[in-house]
Amino acid sequence: MIVCVAVVGHQNNPLYIQSFTEADDALKLHHIVHCSLDVVDERVNNPKKSGPTLNETFLGLLYPTENYKVQYVFFSYGYLTNTKVKFILVTTDLDVRDADVRNFFRRFHAAYVDAVSNPFHVPGKKITSRTFAERVSTIVKSFGLSSAT
Amino acid sequence: MGREVSESCVDSLLTEMVSTYCNRFYANKPELAARRIEAIGYQVGHQLSERYTMERPRFSDHLEAIKFICKDFWSEVFKKQIDNLKTNHRGTFVLQDNRFRWLSRISIDPSLESAESQDSSTPAESKAAQASSMHLYFPCGIIRGALSNLGIPCAVSADISNLPACSFVVRIKA
Repeated sequence: MIVCVAVVGHQNNPLYIQSFTEADDALKLHHIVHCSLDVVDERVNNPKKSGPTLNETFLGLLYPTENYKVQYVFFSYGYLTNTKVKFILVTTDLDVRDADVRNFFRRFHAAYVDAVSNPFHVPGKKITSRTFAERVSTIVKSFGLSSAT
Repeated sequence: MGREVSESCVDSLLTEMVSTYCNRFYANKPELAARRIEAIGYQVGHQLSERYTMERPRFSDHLEAIKFICKDFWSEVFKKQIDNLKTNHRGTFVLQDNRFRWLSRISIDPSLESAESQDSSTPAESKAAQASSMHLYFPCGIIRGALSNLGIPCAVSADISNLPACSFVVRIKA
C-alpha cells in the first residue's frame, strides 16, 4: 500500500506532499521523504551503473538503501524528471514489482504535467489544484492492481 | 491525449497578442511590450518542456538539451526541425530555421511602403523589420522558458535574415 507521495522542486522545495494513512504519522513520512532526497542527490551525482540505465528518470528503491533491516517498515522510490523535479513514493509493501512502480510514476508524471500546465499555477509554488489531488488519489488506489491481470 | 489546435487560430492569436501589446497596452514603449511578450513565451516554453520531456531520459549536457529543442521540441511546436545548428562550443548556439512558421505569413504593408519610400526607403524598411521582430519575442521566450526549465539559464535573441528565415541565438549563462 502506498502511504505517501511527494513532489519536490529543483531546489528541494516541497511542491506537494500527501499521505494516505489513517494513523497520525505524517511527520515520520515527511522524514522519510526528506531522507530520500539525499539519496536522490547521491544517485544523480555519482551514477554507479552505466549503460542504458544512465540518466533514466526512474531511480529505483531509495530507502532503506542497502541493508534491509526489520525495523524499516517503509520503502521509498524515487523519480527525477528532466526538469529536476523529484517524485518520491513511500510504500509499506516489501515486494513491489518494479514495473508497477514505473507505471505509477509514469501516470503520476502525466498528472503532474497537467497540473503545472494550468495557467493559474505559479511555477515553483505548491500545487493546490483539487483535480490534481483527486487524480493522485485515483492513481494511488489503483497501484498494484494491474499486477493481478 | 493528442489534442490538437487549429493552426490558423494560433497564428491569429499570436498576431493579435503582438499587436495588442505593441499598439494598445504599451504603444509608446516597445521595449516594455517586448518584455511582456517574451514573458508570456517563457511561461509557455516552461510548461511545454515539462510535457515534451516526459518519456525521455535526463539530458547529460547542454548540447543534448539544445539538440532536443532543435529536433523534438521544434517538431512538436512547428512540425519541422531546426534547419541548422551552429555552436562555438563556449555556450553560444545559433539555431536557424529557413522557413519559420510564424514569419511565413508576414508581409510588409504595401501602402506603408509606398507612402514612405517617397521620402526615403529606410524608415519603412526599419518599421517593417521592427514589426516582424516583435513577432519573434514570443518564440524567443519559448526557447528561454524551455531551456531554463531544463536547468539551463540562458539569454535568447533572434534576428531575421530574409523574411521567412530567421535565427535564434542562445547564450548560456555560465
